[in-house]
Amino acid sequence: MLWQLIINGIIAGAGYALVGIGFALIYNVGRFFHFAHGILFTVGAYTAFLCNQLLGLPLFLSVPVAIAVTAASGCLLNLVILGPITRRGGSPLVLLLASLGLYIVIQNVISLCFGDDIKTLSLGTIEKGLDFFGARVTPVQISIVISSAMLLIAVALFLRTTGLGKAMRAVSSNAALAEVCGISSRRLVLYAFGIGSALAGIAGVLAALDVNMTPTMGLNALMMGIVAVIIGGSQSVSGIALGALLIGLAQHVGAWKIGTQWQDSIAFIILFIFLLLRPEGFLGKKIRKAAV
Amino acid sequence: MEYLIHILILICLYTILSASLNLIAGYTGLLSIAHAAFYGVGAYVAALMALHLQSSFLLNIICAIVLSGLLGALVGIPSLRIRDDYFVIVTFAFQVITFSILNNWVSFTGGPMGLPGIPQPELFGLKISSHLGFLALIGFFCVVTLLITRQIVLSPFGRVLKAIREDEVFTQAAGKNVATFKVLVFVIGAGMASLAGVMYAYYISFIDPTSFTVMESIFIISIVIIGGAGSFWGPVVGAIVLVLLPELLRFVGMPSSIAANIRQILYGGLLVAFMMWRPRGFLGEYAFQNKEARE
Repeated sequence: MLWQLIINGIIAGAGYALVGIGFALIYNVGRFFHFAHGILFTVGAYTAFLCNQLLGLPLFLSVPVAIAVTAASGCLLNLVILGPITRRGGSPLVLLLASLGLYIVIQNVISLCFGDDIKTLSLGTIEKGLDFFGARVTPVQISIVISSAMLLIAVALFLRTTGLGKAMRAVSSNAALAEVCGISSRRLVLYAFGIGSALAGIAGVLAALDVNMTPTMGLNALMMGIVAVIIGGSQSVSGIALGALLIGLAQHVGAWKIGTQWQDSIAFIILFIFLLLRPEGFLGKKIRKAAV
Repeated sequence: MEYLIHILILICLYTILSASLNLIAGYTGLLSIAHAAFYGVGAYVAALMALHLQSSFLLNIICAIVLSGLLGALVGIPSLRIRDDYFVIVTFAFQVITFSILNNWVSFTGGPMGLPGIPQPELFGLKISSHLGFLALIGFFCVVTLLITRQIVLSPFGRVLKAIREDEVFTQAAGKNVATFKVLVFVIGAGMASLAGVMYAYYISFIDPTSFTVMESIFIISIVIIGGAGSFWGPVVGAIVLVLLPELLRFVGMPSSIAANIRQILYGGLLVAFMMWRPRGFLGEYAFQNKEARE
């Protein structure tokens, strides 16, 4: 039983890590909490649903379309709304509120278009699940863990080896200095939105394949991603991955003791503990506090 | 006529909620999306006490304010260490945990089924049962709340709150104990929000957790921001606009099945538009930029 729960925790953590890493990419370059990141998770799932179930496209076509749509929507949000607010000197809180507003608008548009009921992205046949040392794992869940691990490694390599990734790290460690050195943060923010949103879209499609979808699924996924980022440290890919695993495991093992309805509370209590004892996360640097 | 009174009561309730949040977010600059949690705690304390202890209306109000104030202190304390966007997440977490407790502790709170049959309030031997009576009662508390907030912001205490918003380090350097002020403003704000909760519980006579969700918290902060954070009349204007707008759509013949969604799209869209073109809202003097951010 415990082994099955640990496996489930790892699967959940893999999803949280994908959302968290995309959120962190945008946060590091744009320096604000992008709440609408959560809705891109939902947009990914519903675009795949639209292509696959309503338009009848095969899954191997629907998934890339969904990812492309989310990446494009993320860029569009930045170009049309959030970018202009930044250029007018909007503070991180103003951007946070605008992004929260965008989340609410898009979520309700999805509710109006598709309805609030649960939708599934069925693979046709219900698979029995494979036996993994005594635990049941479906092929979709295996692909979630593998693709999440591969994407996390890809993002880590991208940030370390490519020029664009290095520029992103430069901006996140000192935006003013990076600007002086000729790194245009405006262009980087757009790239961060594109990559981050694509990752959220992938996570959304995978979650839809694994369980199901509702218009409100994104907020919860985003919150878990944010908790992973805060407890792991926004600058560190491995920290976020560890943070996501910690929450996933705590939620599933905790659910065994006190019931699944407390899973959100478990994650947020872990967040409280970290914020009080180690607010920079276990692998991160210091967060902003009032200081001269 | 009853419909009109109902709308006026809603405006009063949201004025209490947003005026109290304005103290926290508008004057002190602590952006919080936990206000519906305090609102809910007030409603549940009053409902549970009225149902199980048959205690009097005024006693329920006092207990709700005390409990909610204590919880307010609990949320205020992290604000001493954590700022801005991180603090927003803390308040969000508090909101989600409170909602989970209301929704999942079925034996105590009734869970998703809610608490029906809250008795009508009795004040000095007078039973309040008509819509008009409730309007008088809630309107009275709304005016009291506004007067108290006015006293607070005009007092030296209020000036320190604004100073914290503009420059926390400087305020500290000027010899003010920033920590006490931040926790106190949360206690006051949370207490006032619970007052609105008590009124709501008695007025509707049935409560369930769906009235106290994250979205409700976001709605309340939207009222503050759209009306104008840090201004006395801002929350009143915001409450009038945001309560009336969706009602107006009802008259254009919008089907009620999509009304909830349209209402949310409306205030979400307004929030985005105001952040884009007028971050200080209709009347506000604070646009969520402190000295540090302006530099």
